Amino acid sequence: MRGADYKAIRARNDSAWLLPNDGNRSDHRLRADMRRFDDDEEVDLVVVGAGAGGSVMTQRLARAGWKVVCLDAGPFWDPDRDWVSDERGSHTLYWTEPRQIGGADPVPLGSNNSGRGVGGSMVHYAGYTPRFHPSDFHTHTLDGVGADWPITYPDLRPYYEQIEHELPVAGQSWPWGDPHDYPHHAHPVGGNGDVFLRGAAAAGIEARVGPVAIANGRFGNRPHCIYRGFCLQGCKVNAKASPLITHIPDALAHGAEIRAHCHVSKILVDDETGLATGVTYLREGLEHRQRARMVAVAGYSIETPRLLLLSSSRRFPDGLGNDFDQVGRYLMVQGAPQTAGRFEAEVRMYKAPPPEVSTEQFYETDPTKPYKRGWSIQTVSPLPITWAEHVTAQGHWGDVLREYMRDYVHWATLGALCEFLPQARNRVTLADETDRHGLPVAHFSYSECDNDKQLMKAAQASMETILRAAGADEVMTIDRYAHLVGGARMAARPEDGVVDGDLRTFAVPNLYVTDGSVLPTQGSANPALTIMSLAARAADRLKAGARSGVVDAGARS
Amino acid sequence: MRGVYRAPDQHAVTPQNRGRFPGFDVLDEVHTWDEVTAGVVLARLAPAVDLSFFSLAESGCATALLDLLLAQDREPRVPVMAMIDARLAAGETDGWHYDDMPEDGEAWRRTLAALDEDADTLAGRPFARLDSDQQAALVQRVQRLGSDGKQWHDLPAEHVWSLWTRYGCTAFYSHPWAWNEIGFSGPAYPRGYKNIGIDAREPFEVPDAAVEDPVPFAGRIERARNAHADLVGRELGDDG
Repeated sequence: MRGADYKAIRARNDSAWLLPNDGNRSDHRLRADMRRFDDDEEVDLVVVGAGAGGSVMTQRLARAGWKVVCLDAGPFWDPDRDWVSDERGSHTLYWTEPRQIGGADPVPLGSNNSGRGVGGSMVHYAGYTPRFHPSDFHTHTLDGVGADWPITYPDLRPYYEQIEHELPVAGQSWPWGDPHDYPHHAHPVGGNGDVFLRGAAAAGIEARVGPVAIANGRFGNRPHCIYRGFCLQGCKVNAKASPLITHIPDALAHGAEIRAHCHVSKILVDDETGLATGVTYLREGLEHRQRARMVAVAGYSIETPRLLLLSSSRRFPDGLGNDFDQVGRYLMVQGAPQTAGRFEAEVRMYKAPPPEVSTEQFYETDPTKPYKRGWSIQTVSPLPITWAEHVTAQGHWGDVLREYMRDYVHWATLGALCEFLPQARNRVTLADETDRHGLPVAHFSYSECDNDKQLMKAAQASMETILRAAGADEVMTIDRYAHLVGGARMAARPEDGVVDGDLRTFAVPNLYVTDGSVLPTQGSANPALTIMSLAARAADRLKAGARSGVVDAGARS
Repeated sequence: MRGVYRAPDQHAVTPQNRGRFPGFDVLDEVHTWDEVTAGVVLARLAPAVDLSFFSLAESGCATALLDLLLAQDREPRVPVMAMIDARLAAGETDGWHYDDMPEDGEAWRRTLAALDEDADTLAGRPFARLDSDQQAALVQRVQRLGSDGKQWHDLPAEHVWSLWTRYGCTAFYSHPWAWNEIGFSGPAYPRGYKNIGIDAREPFEVPDAAVEDPVPFAGRIERARNAHADLVGRELGDDG
């Protein structure tokens, strides 16, 4: 379906129309009038984290009439006042509380994959919103690797469609996975996208413009993209989607409270009843307690496992929901090598949004290859500081570093997302170091397996092919990682995961995990759309069952 | 006159007067930026405040190290050491550290002390008082130990190298003078871009003068490599 049915979108989510159209980017009025709950009032739901999953959960259930409080450790952003059109100055967008990284292949966090404040990592994600392929939901059955999900692609498809319209997503007709169209037409491309399209065509590789959650044309009161190139620094324009503008306004309009600067320190469980009763949180050095009938954790793949591990009790001595030693395990990142090519012409890749063009031609398992699963390729357009990382990764420093950097306008950059496999040893544990609240910080250990390493090499070769075919006279590659998913995965049985297909924890019937940590596998797709769609589905399931109260843990459909 | 006042000799400054975009100055466009962004960028031109994290000895060592890593061998210099000092004083980390390294502030102190120790062993002087080729040889050794997966003063050399280059490049390439050098147009809100695509420029963007340079890209890189090789030419024995 091409084109958008605005009436249907507004009946579900009015956010884009609740934003002001007077040049201000924040809904100051809505925020000032926000409903506020007392700590002692037992709300229907407390959500931990206002990112992709938490915001959708909050909005959907607030709209259904639930009393919802969403706590976030960071600020309630105002794009006008808080964000800058500057790479270095965007440091505040990232989760920079201390964390330790280790294992054979330590994965840097912070700016790379960890958000902070209302909107979460989607505030600084590139904006790519591809769907997962149907095969992603049963890689174990198909390819003998990874894990099968307790739900299938058709379970999620209606929610993909809903969210694609609510963001909205712009792109060409999509030929891969389950072929589909996008509600908004594809954006024009800049120099980087042009290189990708020409190189792919010359190399016989299919490529498409999109899919990006950047409205092409006005959407509600959100304006058109101005092709500024600072998508990863927070969109001051309100053109790129993040929950801050796509779901939070509607949540506020339906009586939800967004309580910023509140760091949740523990999920409270009554050991007698086995039910969650709320959370404790820290604000300005003081501990508070919010009572709730139900708790949804949405702190993403590092903080969600950390919070569950910090929430031990007599009944759960090794951490909440950790009876089978599953919490924090099977954490995944995508192998994300980026290959740049140098052109005699000026590319000036910093102009236009970094997310422009993709191919999923290498996404599925190729039976002629020794490795399983695959990768996608997308344009990425590093700004100068990030570009310096590419150059120093080649071992350059001093004069050579400066000379390469002076050549910045001549380079185009592609990035791959390789489907790294879930492994039990890749996990979050509590470190012996504490944060400023005195709480143990997360230690994230990561080691690649052999299949992962093969994918990295093959992906690099495919990007070099495209760039050479486009006329690059030199190429350089940096090996890096992107995204986080897993750590509290969904499974069919409690022995294999933390939550079921409805995102409810096996251990506590009124405790949910509604963020990226529930993903059992990750495909080669950026996870934001899938996280939002899973949360929308979980909310629907909850709404449907709400009248019967808390369903017995054994009696789920 | 639009935007803020600047002295005539402060126009189109590049570090060490190196660059390929003659006359290009991102600050010419300050009047098209939003004021929050303008404030953040212009603050980088403010005079450095007194040291707030490094000791005097540490600051001398850090300045020598960073000047070397970023080839800042003469004025005008981007005040990289001062920018890192302010960042460490504020405790502004990247949100992670390797589990085999101390947190960033402590890691800076330890590695600077280790550089001074190496310099003392080599020449009986602090690192900042070594000749630049001696400094370069010591620094090159840390990088080589890193690529060989070895330790340097009980720290993984690769992670030390990562710390130095990350902090150094983040400071240097956040400075508008460095943007002038590489032809980057800097902040772009609410203006945006009208001319996107290959060889497309905005009216205020300046074409790369190297197009008229008879030396092609590969040759320029070769020239830089040779200069670099001369600097680090005096390889030290690897006792790492």
